Amino acid sequence: MQRTDGYAAIRDYALVGDGRTAALIARDGSIDWLCLPDVDCEAVFSRMLDSERGGSFQLEPTVPYEVERCYQRDSNVLETTFATADGTVRLTDAMTLTDDGRLSPFRELVRKVEGLSGRVPLRWSFEPRFGYGERETTLQRRAGRWFATNGTDALALGLWNAGEPEPLNGLLQAEFEVSEGGAALVELSAASEQPVVLAARGDTERRLERTARFWPEWTGRIEYDGPWRDAVVRSALVLKLLVFAPSGAIVAAPTASLPEWIGGGRNWDYRFTWLRDASWTLDALIRLGLDDEAHAFFWWFMHASRITQPRLQILYKVDGSTHTKEHDLENLAGYRGSKPVRVGNGAADQVQLDVYGTVLESIWLYVQDVGHLDGETGRDVAKIADYVAEHWKQPDSGIWEVRKKTTHFTQSKALCWVGLERACSLAERGVIPDRSERWRESADEIRRFVDAKGWDDELGSYVRAPDMPELDASLLTLAILSYDQPESDRLRGTVAAIERELRTGPYVYRYRGEDGVGGDEGAFLTCSFWLADTFARQGRLDEARSLMDELVGLANDVGLFSEEIDPASGDFLGNFPQGLTHLALVNAAISIADAEREQAA
Amino acid sequence: MSVWGALAGGAVGTVILTSTLRIAQAAGWTRMDIPLLLGTMFTDNRSRASAIGYVVHFLNGLVFALVYYAIFRAVGHAGWGFGAGLGLVHAMFAGGALVNAILPAVHPRMGTPWSDAEETPILEPPGFLLANYGRRTAVVNIVAHVAYGAIIGGFAIGLS
Repeated sequence: MQRTDGYAAIRDYALVGDGRTAALIARDGSIDWLCLPDVDCEAVFSRMLDSERGGSFQLEPTVPYEVERCYQRDSNVLETTFATADGTVRLTDAMTLTDDGRLSPFRELVRKVEGLSGRVPLRWSFEPRFGYGERETTLQRRAGRWFATNGTDALALGLWNAGEPEPLNGLLQAEFEVSEGGAALVELSAASEQPVVLAARGDTERRLERTARFWPEWTGRIEYDGPWRDAVVRSALVLKLLVFAPSGAIVAAPTASLPEWIGGGRNWDYRFTWLRDASWTLDALIRLGLDDEAHAFFWWFMHASRITQPRLQILYKVDGSTHTKEHDLENLAGYRGSKPVRVGNGAADQVQLDVYGTVLESIWLYVQDVGHLDGETGRDVAKIADYVAEHWKQPDSGIWEVRKKTTHFTQSKALCWVGLERACSLAERGVIPDRSERWRESADEIRRFVDAKGWDDELGSYVRAPDMPELDASLLTLAILSYDQPESDRLRGTVAAIERELRTGPYVYRYRGEDGVGGDEGAFLTCSFWLADTFARQGRLDEARSLMDELVGLANDVGLFSEEIDPASGDFLGNFPQGLTHLALVNAAISIADAEREQAA
Repeated sequence: MSVWGALAGGAVGTVILTSTLRIAQAAGWTRMDIPLLLGTMFTDNRSRASAIGYVVHFLNGLVFALVYYAIFRAVGHAGWGFGAGLGLVHAMFAGGALVNAILPAVHPRMGTPWSDAEETPILEPPGFLLANYGRRTAVVNIVAHVAYGAIIGGFAIGLS
């Protein structure tokens, strides 16, 4: 595996996690990203954002090797096989789940090396850097184990047949050998504001086995047997790792500041939950039969947004709080020099009207699945609809969170229409107070606005905004969320224009115009999956299947997708793995499967 | 000092405490909903949960009034100010341990910091000082409990 200036390609990472936090592991066995104790906390390994100062936990042969990787079948347990001239070993990486029968570590990452053939010399190097490398790390040996501590945070290493480490310039390093049939175990036990649990080898092995058993059992709940099943199941497994189990929230991605263009400034923190993703998430989870996760997420966002309701903030922290202040980490060099490195997200203060459409759509999906809403929630939902009817005329920052002046984005207005339509449907079913006369009036007004001002005769397409007569791939959501019949002339024209202006092969760009940030970016993978989804809804099944085949083939070696991709090199860009991309993949696959079934009938 | 006074204070204080929290919710200061949190221990039907939760909370309010009374008796002193002080201690206990740590540990539908991928709780945990339910929740919690304690203290001597 090649590193550039110490940085692995984003494509070379795989994800392991436990529903509270997640680690990114490169093909060379280096854990280059891990936040503790939760996914939105400070990173203790952030080599992805600074190859020298970020810190990592590497484990690899000391001699030249070839590497192959896969997840265990239907699982989030990762297996990396290192083949050297003298032997082969398998490295199993997992974040273990709590064992209720035993005192378990607060967070635990296990690395098990098994000898498959011959004899392989290996080395591990443990270099924790608390607080994204900004806080001092103390390494100490006590109670027979090595500890890394800072303030109330502590890590302890459990080592079995994994060599005798020596501290060297703030890191621990050891060499060891594993022969055929032999095994070594390295365990990282983490604690925050509490004592570290020092696990026995047997308990750690038992938790690893239990974790390995859990994932296929969970995957067995997925009700999908259509095309691209492996990709759909992998996406579901990724989404499960993005679920913050203590609250039910789902982060957009487990990383911060991976750049949308190498060397560029489009580097954002995605370790928050965007309400916009709510409808895609609920749709995907319900369509996959993952009702528990769908319902937990629904109640999480209804609770989280309660303070601001009927106004909705566009993103929330996983614990439901709203404080997401953005700031730069000056000490980090950024992924391959991509600065600034941002944590927190300033977009939280923006007005984005499309959020109301997706939230009301997701409430509609939830009610269709469950059949009812309690009275108090119903009243809250009606107030959200009132708010949309009252505020749809205001300019906003749009789905792409542009950081220049606000304007009247066509997609935002159309989604306000979608939201009011769903509110009317909910009122018709009697689950929310009926003020549909007022909502319908505003919906009609919105449609008149979109159809008159959001349409460009010359392009034969809806456009980004009345004052921005250009294409925007988010307009594909007008077909997916049924603003109009997908096969209507206007949406056919819009899809044709998007293909003409924004599509290159399987790649689709979000837009070509200004957004107030500056610099290049890659093609947006979610938009490609939206296009496949739209094809299916328009009955263009051959095109949908062909595009989907190409897109699924773009995943990395373990089936993961980033936010963006460089069409020229195929390099992944942006935060990784990206929930929205995997959601769009699932929904596109299911739409195609549904369309195939309809066509067959 | 009278136990009946303390109980009457507990009843009135609980109504005031619950109303304060409800007003704070409506004003957008907090997402703290004690009746819902308590009621969902018994059912996942929200309407029924709120109703059950109000009853449970009211009974809790009376039980805590007896605890206040026991403390008044032990130190031989009661009153509005002393009751308010105990209310402050009560608020810190509620935010730091009772609702923050003990409730999630026994609540069948609430997440904890230990919840992992095997679990899908439908209620988020309150967090330290209940801050997950809004940054001003800690202040609302203190104001409500100080009022509750002051009323019990006042009633305990007032009805003696």
